[in-house]
Amino acid sequence: MTRKTRGATVAAIGLGIALAASACAGGSSGGSGGSGDSAGGKVTVTFWENATNGPDGLAYFQSAAKAFEAIHPNVTIQYQTIQNEDFDGKLQTALNANSAPDIFLQRGGGKMQAEVDAGQLQALNLSATDKTNVGAGALAGLSIDGQAYAVPFDTQPEGIYYSKDLFQQAGITTTPTTIDELEADVALLKKINVAPIAVGAKDAWPAAHWYYNFAVRECSQATLASTAKSLQFSDACWTKAGDDLAAFLKVSPFQNGFLTTAAQQGAGSSAGMLANHKAAMELMGSWDPGVISSLTPNQKPLPDLGWFPFPAVTGGQGDPSAIMGGSDSYSLSKNAPKEALEFLEFLVTKDQQVAYAKAFQSIPVNQAAQSGITESYNVSALQAANKATYSVLYLDTQFGQNVGNAMNTAVVNMMAGKGNAAGIVSASNAAAAKG
Amino acid sequence: MSESLGTDTVAGSQSQGTFGAGGAGVTASPAPPRAAARRRGRARMRLEITLLSGPAIIMFLAFVIFPVAVAAYYGFYRWHGYGPATDWVGLNNYKLIFTDPAFQQVLWHNLLIVVLSLVIQGPLAIIMALLLNQKMRGRGLIRVLIFVPYVISEVIVGTGWSLMLQANGAMNDLLGHIGLGALQSDWLADPNLALWTLMAIISWKYIGFAVILMLAGLQSIPDEIYEAAAIDGASFWQMQRRITVPLLGPTIRIWAFLSIIGSLQLFDLVYIIWGQYVSGTAGTSTMAIYMVAQGRDAGNYGYGSAVAVVMFLISLVVALIYQRFVLRRDLRGAVTEGTV
Repeated sequence: MTRKTRGATVAAIGLGIALAASACAGGSSGGSGGSGDSAGGKVTVTFWENATNGPDGLAYFQSAAKAFEAIHPNVTIQYQTIQNEDFDGKLQTALNANSAPDIFLQRGGGKMQAEVDAGQLQALNLSATDKTNVGAGALAGLSIDGQAYAVPFDTQPEGIYYSKDLFQQAGITTTPTTIDELEADVALLKKINVAPIAVGAKDAWPAAHWYYNFAVRECSQATLASTAKSLQFSDACWTKAGDDLAAFLKVSPFQNGFLTTAAQQGAGSSAGMLANHKAAMELMGSWDPGVISSLTPNQKPLPDLGWFPFPAVTGGQGDPSAIMGGSDSYSLSKNAPKEALEFLEFLVTKDQQVAYAKAFQSIPVNQAAQSGITESYNVSALQAANKATYSVLYLDTQFGQNVGNAMNTAVVNMMAGKGNAAGIVSASNAAAAKG
Repeated sequence: MSESLGTDTVAGSQSQGTFGAGGAGVTASPAPPRAAARRRGRARMRLEITLLSGPAIIMFLAFVIFPVAVAAYYGFYRWHGYGPATDWVGLNNYKLIFTDPAFQQVLWHNLLIVVLSLVIQGPLAIIMALLLNQKMRGRGLIRVLIFVPYVISEVIVGTGWSLMLQANGAMNDLLGHIGLGALQSDWLADPNLALWTLMAIISWKYIGFAVILMLAGLQSIPDEIYEAAAIDGASFWQMQRRITVPLLGPTIRIWAFLSIIGSLQLFDLVYIIWGQYVSGTAGTSTMAIYMVAQGRDAGNYGYGSAVAVVMFLISLVVALIYQRFVLRRDLRGAVTEGTV
């Protein structure tokens, strides 16, 4: 650099820093931070949802907002829909930038714990009516030390969604109750040239849920609970679950190219394959019917959709009736106005829950609204959920982002033939070292 | 903005260090008029340089230097992305990175991609440029066709190819229809194929840029040299080998530099086509994929920042070595030495 330009550069850099600093200072007031002060004035409540079932879900939310705004004329509810796989990253960015939405989808487990530890969530002050609407069991899973931090809208027992028509074509009369029966059905379905089971391994978690369900069958309830605390996968049942999955993979139950199939995006996704009768089964949570109906050729629900619980595994320590699942729940960010909580309370009332369940084709958390369930897959799922001796939160959510992500990746590795059951355990331990 | 800098009447005011440490020989005695005028000119020049380069420098600081500094800071912490970082771990993140077999794997993939990009695209681009430099019909159309992929966004390219190359996608369907069913394969997930699939897509996408560069280089070679060579009885191939390629040297070296840096930073195509989970098993994951998977997706933002720093240092070292040893002759004279 010449001597004569050096001074100019220094000046320009100084100017730059000054401007950059002022720009940064000015930028933090943007976003949709909670409007806090809401004494009688106009309040805007921002609401982020992941809209897994396309337009119907958003249409329900819009109408619920209209009904709520009619009672509270000073409130405006503002929705933002974010694709499921992008949701967590966007939310984290918003929380860090102090521009968090007032209400947002909460997955619970380790992620919720991290948000609470960081003081990002509002402790919810729920009334007795709210607790009756939601049910004590559902709230317990979203509480830390007895304090609820999220309100669930539905219950999502995970199980296998299947096409009744394809089962009939393949000559399958009853749904499988053991893994051996499931393997026999896989063979029958291959004969009619459909993929027996669709799985979206590109997103990792749908593939990992196979491993988790095997783990729920292999591990006792006590082991699951203690592992969630210690994150040490020393119990033999974790390895055994991996071996079970490896054995199941030997019958090639999944579609060709399942490693690069997405879960929910487009007709080629695993949900899309079920929606277009290219695959007969998919292991998923209860948002799946909504996703499937957005991917059918006419964008209507799949008429022949059924559900059965994850089959029993012989010799497992877990209760064969146990169910893994979660819920679509919503949390309030720390600065959310009181109207945001009122809106959540409004959404779990009976009439709203009936409409919610209809739009999302799911099982509402409010038991008074459950009588309205007619879809056969939801009836089956609700029966199984009521029969379960205990239920477990999705394990990748339960274990928290760090270990959950490592496990998901390790399961995909194993499915690709690049690892084994022991690799899942060691990957989880390695992740714990980084976190 | 200009008020704060004052006008250009700074001259003569003996402004010791008005612009920082650059007062080139300001004397303390009253200057003779000629010198004053020169100083006025110089001050004005500084002001103009500041005004004209200021915005670019601000952008560069805010969007390049500042994030690099922030990443370096967070790299020393175990930080999960909420609130201020408090859990200082020193160099532990770096220790974990270099002992993580997954990182060694992605580093290896990156090196492969760097080498393969050079080996595949370089010769192809030179040959295409030589052909397109000849007078022929449809030359403009071919140039456009070769260049178009470079213009399309990586996301579109990635989505398109990923749909076509699915196991049940258009590519396998086409092969089945034209009687090449034996060639049908899992282009994306098969670990023996995936890296070559990636290289094919990268080459298809970026070769347009290389060809355009080479063509520009060819334009700058004077025709007289070829005429002289023709008089001396050189054949077409002799001319290409002894005149064109050597004189293309600077262009090739600059292109190779850009290609190496681009390959080290490769992220978007892989992320779109494979996603961060499958790229590892398919053998196409890169350092940037590792960074996002370990940082954003696992929630270990401190660790991810350390990976970013490692990537930055690797790219920096490569760039410095390359400039020092490969581009030395090309850059001579391009960098002005301060001779005032």
